[in-house]
Amino acid sequence: MAKTVAGGKTRVVQGESKKRNQESGTVKGNNVKEAKPDFDAIEASASFRELMKKKKAFLVPTTILFLGLYLLFNFIISYTNWLEKSFIGDISWVWVFAFGLFAMTWILVTVYMKRAEKFDEMAVKTLKEFNYDKEENL
Amino acid sequence: MNATVIVIFLVIVAMTLVITYFAAKRTKSTSDFYTAGGGLSGWQNGLAIAGDYLSAASFLGIAGSIALFGFDGFLFSIGYLVAYLVVLFIVAEPLRNLGKFTLADMINARFDAKKVRGAAALSSITIVIFYMIAQLVGAGALIQLLFGIDYLWAVLLVGIMMTIYVLFGGMTATSWVQIIKAVLLMVGTVILSFLVLQRFDFNILEMFTQMKTATPHGEAFLNPGVRYKIPLDTISLMLALVLGTAGLPHILMRFFTVRDAKTARSSVMWATWIVGIFYVMTIFLGFGAAAFVGSDLIIATNPAGNMAAPLLAQALGGDILMSFISAVAFATILAVVAGLVLSGASAFAHDIYGQIIKKGKATERQQMLAARYASVGVAVFSILLAIFAQSLNVAFLVSLAFCIAASANLPVIIYTIFWKKFNTTGAISAIFTGLISALILVSISPSVMNPEAGAAIITGTPLFPLTNPAIVSIPLGFIGGVVGTLLSKESDVRKYSEVKVRANTGGFRQL
Repeated sequence: MAKTVAGGKTRVVQGESKKRNQESGTVKGNNVKEAKPDFDAIEASASFRELMKKKKAFLVPTTILFLGLYLLFNFIISYTNWLEKSFIGDISWVWVFAFGLFAMTWILVTVYMKRAEKFDEMAVKTLKEFNYDKEENL
Repeated sequence: MNATVIVIFLVIVAMTLVITYFAAKRTKSTSDFYTAGGGLSGWQNGLAIAGDYLSAASFLGIAGSIALFGFDGFLFSIGYLVAYLVVLFIVAEPLRNLGKFTLADMINARFDAKKVRGAAALSSITIVIFYMIAQLVGAGALIQLLFGIDYLWAVLLVGIMMTIYVLFGGMTATSWVQIIKAVLLMVGTVILSFLVLQRFDFNILEMFTQMKTATPHGEAFLNPGVRYKIPLDTISLMLALVLGTAGLPHILMRFFTVRDAKTARSSVMWATWIVGIFYVMTIFLGFGAAAFVGSDLIIATNPAGNMAAPLLAQALGGDILMSFISAVAFATILAVVAGLVLSGASAFAHDIYGQIIKKGKATERQQMLAARYASVGVAVFSILLAIFAQSLNVAFLVSLAFCIAASANLPVIIYTIFWKKFNTTGAISAIFTGLISALILVSISPSVMNPEAGAAIITGTPLFPLTNPAIVSIPLGFIGGVVGTLLSKESDVRKYSEVKVRANTGGFRQL
């Protein structure tokens, strides 16, 4: 539920930043006068490091998995005819593996959507710790 | 061209113009123009991303390739779909959190250097132009076939329509044309698939059995190797497809049309489901066309097989279905090229004019004007190129665009987000190494040089053996970034902390 709040806030901020850009003609990154938040402190904080650790623990193995399976499939069908055997009737393992890669994509997307909700909560928690969950910072 | 075609065609054109009219009223700022004000929802943007992806090349092209080459025709779809995992896991959310209108914005969140922005804009423009020529040349040939009008008029018709959408309705019109087209395309494909499956009594096993004898390829039709016979070439091409999507400017731009990373994420989820289901159905379309139209007629109508789907519609559903599918194919072409114009224009007007020449000090009015001039410029330039390229074999330009995106854009995106020591020199050398190596290698490859006169742009023996250089140029792009970074002493670790925090939390977007 924290996220819906965050979403609502973001929309307001966008409107504001749009207005500001229109007035001054500047774009983010340039000529921002206000004091910058202490990013080093946020980066070093336990909650942010925990977020990065969790993200890495999910993204690194899954990325290796899906790219690995994808390349494996391409190597097998390009260099061998291992998969050209019947699975059921005239449907060969080639089609089964190919459809497996489709299913893998859908499953990983679904799993990631679930995980990302946790990441969102952790991100909001980090920003809260530093009092940066205010509207103008989201 | 019969009366039904004209009526359905006019209805679709009228619908897109109504959308453009309403979108024009809402397009007041550059943010409206480039990103529809960032106001699209997850499913809307997901449909639009799917729409961008389901170009005429994949709708008509893949159905045709499956009809002519069986499994090998389907192979591309696997790469196109798995590519979304790269987009979702690595690119979408940091891009949304760090950028504003373009890829260059995101890289510049870390390196505030004009050189980097210029390099990123240049590679984006190169990709857009190549992709656009392929789409327009294909579109011209296709509309010639579908509606029986001259190539020149066909290209001009598409060109004028896309310019109208972009010029007046900006991203809002482009997105909604894309969304409606995606829905129509799905409806058309579901109807066709249903009719094909009905012919096979809804028995998939029976369908495969019949396909063994339905084509000149015999049993080989159902196995790899009918079309792609050189293993390394296939792998190189598949590498370009899976890694290229995450660097295509017109796909990346779609992530700025939503309000936050969470919505960017859900739009990828929608896109994977829609695109995936669509690709599964192209199998039915391809098999159906091979079985009920026959490869002789498909090749006689268009040697590349692009007319397989419309011919299948004619065979199973008569004139009305054929007209509907043709009109949807036309809408598909329009929507995709409009998105391309917009992403090319943003690189010119926002990156080069607004940020580099005007140093970010252009007024909103000036930026709006520049955006519109750039759109017209990109449109006119691509139309001219497409007219000159009519007789050239440019189908390889689509996979080249994927290859450049993977070689020049993906390495710099990944290093910007994940590599602490990465620096300005590294960013520039990553982009240029990937871009230049892909361009040089492809220009001496069999795609451009063919000993057989007329088969490719240059007649001669190719100096590089692979049709798609991705397997060489992607590693070169990554190595270019490392070498450039290590050769230069400068580094800004504090700026990296900022980028890392912003990319991962979604906070501090206004900085």
